[in-house]
Amino acid sequence: MSWKTLRDSKTGSRGGASLAVLLTAWYTTASFALVAIGTGLLYFALADNLRKISEQSLLDEVEVCRALVLEQGGDSHPLHEEVEIDSAVRRYQKFYIRVIDGQGAASTTTPGMDRDLSESRVAAAAAQYGGIFRIASPNGAPYRAMVATVPRDAMGRDNWTLQVAVDLTQEQVVLGRQRVWVWTLLAAALILCPGIGFAIARRSTRPLREVAETARHIGSSTLNERIGAEGYPVEIRGLALAFNAMLERLEESFARMSRFSADIAHELRTPVNNIRGQAEVALARPRSPEEYVEVIASGLEESVRLSELIESLLFLARSESPGDHLKRTPEDIGRLLADLRDYYEVAATEAGVTMSSTAERDNIMAYVDRMLLLRALGNLVSNALAHCSTGDTIVLGALRQDEQIHIVVRDTGSGIPADALPRVFDRLYRADPARSRNSGGAGLGLAIVRQIIHLHGGEVEIASSPGQGTTVLVILPRSTAPRESPLPTAPIY
Amino acid sequence: MKLLIVEDEAKTASFLKQGFSEAGFLVSVAADGLEGRRQIESVGFDLIVLDIMLPGVDGWETLRWMRGAGVGTPVLILTARDEVADRVRGLELGADDYLVKPFAFSELLARVRTILRRPTVREPATLRVADLELDLTGQKAMRGGQRLDLTGREFKLLSLLMRRSGEVLTRTLIAESVWNMNSEGDTNVVDVNMRRLRSKVDDPFPQKLLRTVRGVGYVLENPEGQ
Repeated sequence: MSWKTLRDSKTGSRGGASLAVLLTAWYTTASFALVAIGTGLLYFALADNLRKISEQSLLDEVEVCRALVLEQGGDSHPLHEEVEIDSAVRRYQKFYIRVIDGQGAASTTTPGMDRDLSESRVAAAAAQYGGIFRIASPNGAPYRAMVATVPRDAMGRDNWTLQVAVDLTQEQVVLGRQRVWVWTLLAAALILCPGIGFAIARRSTRPLREVAETARHIGSSTLNERIGAEGYPVEIRGLALAFNAMLERLEESFARMSRFSADIAHELRTPVNNIRGQAEVALARPRSPEEYVEVIASGLEESVRLSELIESLLFLARSESPGDHLKRTPEDIGRLLADLRDYYEVAATEAGVTMSSTAERDNIMAYVDRMLLLRALGNLVSNALAHCSTGDTIVLGALRQDEQIHIVVRDTGSGIPADALPRVFDRLYRADPARSRNSGGAGLGLAIVRQIIHLHGGEVEIASSPGQGTTVLVILPRSTAPRESPLPTAPIY
Repeated sequence: MKLLIVEDEAKTASFLKQGFSEAGFLVSVAADGLEGRRQIESVGFDLIVLDIMLPGVDGWETLRWMRGAGVGTPVLILTARDEVADRVRGLELGADDYLVKPFAFSELLARVRTILRRPTVREPATLRVADLELDLTGQKAMRGGQRLDLTGREFKLLSLLMRRSGEVLTRTLIAESVWNMNSEGDTNVVDVNMRRLRSKVDDPFPQKLLRTVRGVGYVLENPEGQ
């Protein structure tokens, strides 16, 4: 058992990775990708916004200076103030402005600009890129800059040049801080996503593990265990319910089997006990020949009973194995019923029971195993006979109905109690436990009937009301009708 | 008639030997296939009763060897297995009959006799046991000069018993031969019919010819011997 389980679990792992691991991998990949894309987009949006803001300020500054140059001449006080003081005191978005007059000499310059951005450097970069461009100081400090030409008068004869640059250090600091956040977030996602994913996967596969755990624990002695399907998701509940239904069926057939085994043991025990006891007692002291004969004869009777029981059980067991064991021949059902009546008639007459068969004149042909069908119907008739007393009648009838053949055995005997009716076809079941084995047989008769009819692909139904009688209906299917049936299979014995 | 029983189960072999000896056969017993083979080679038997489950060389093997060596002695197979395939195999290998354990000894005896008299002599038109006389062609039964009033089935039943007078016939065999029924069912229909027959054949006469053999069946015989 344990070896088998071991092997099973081995083959199980060979079948593929754990569902939880797979789910975790997918969750992790998907959520990490989402976080990465999200933070990336935000970062680039921020960078873009910062760029636009600095560009706008740059343009504003140029406009201010242009206005100052145009309105008040190059050497005005406000321009100097703007260039040398206002710009110099700003901490954030610090501006550097150089105003170059028409002769190419710097009229005014924000302090510190010459150190990082010499006039020639800016001019060279402007010539190379045009518009707003990025430029770095010799020691690597970043700037955004532009060069603009400003006319000093409305005629535009004396053109001055403005070199304006904005310090990007603060912007870089902000973006740098943002990058730190981005990386922190991604790192956190890298750690959290698998963790959360695994937790979710574990959680959603837990019912599966519980189902498997229950299934592992169920053995032949604990078939009454069930899987609690409540609170599980729909998919798993379906599985659990199907599993429970299977357990239900297993439990029922196990119960049936063990009841059957117990019954068999009892049926075997009684005759064996009789043989053994009688022989023991007989041998205990010398006896007369008549007494010996009695013991031997009684032993023989019990042995015969045992043989018949074994034969019946073997018949039932064998006919359950798949395969067609039938030796079908075309038979006239009416003729068959007449033969049955013929066989039982004397016994019926002795018991004061009238027997009749109504199908004699009808020609109902069917491909059936004559011996088996006779045995089944014979069991039904002798059952009916056992339930009848003087004045009762037994009617055998057959008719064709929609390609089916209905055979009826009806008696007006004592009937069967309603609570016993569903079980009468069970093996070794006797409606009346007090019925002696002499009259009742081993209780296999109706089980054999059902088995034989099932072998023919048919059904047996029974209806009874106590005191009124019993009707057994045997329905043979279409396939036994000659024109529907294939050629009879060659007899194998 | 010389009979060989090849059977390893001592009790079975012993009761078979006793039964057949008392039925007038000369019986030898072999406990396994090799022993059986030795005996078959040295003695000419009229019939061999062969068990299948034998230690060493089993029944199939023995049968195959026999038929291969051209020994045509009739063989009746005894076995506890009654799978259809086994039956077919036995008959294909050249066995003459096949009987499943547990069996009624009377049936085995009847089958052995049937095999041995297979080339049958023609049946006489009249059967006679003591003062009971059966005219098969005229369908008349007479006892002590008195006509017995029998139904068709009763006549058939009586003729079966008379034809095999001295043999114990099982209820199953009777049901099969007279009514073509393969099982007697739960009710002992055969017993009822025998009781009826007895009331006509035996009851009016002092000498009783029909005898019930408990647990086996019925026999019709002259109590004073043939």
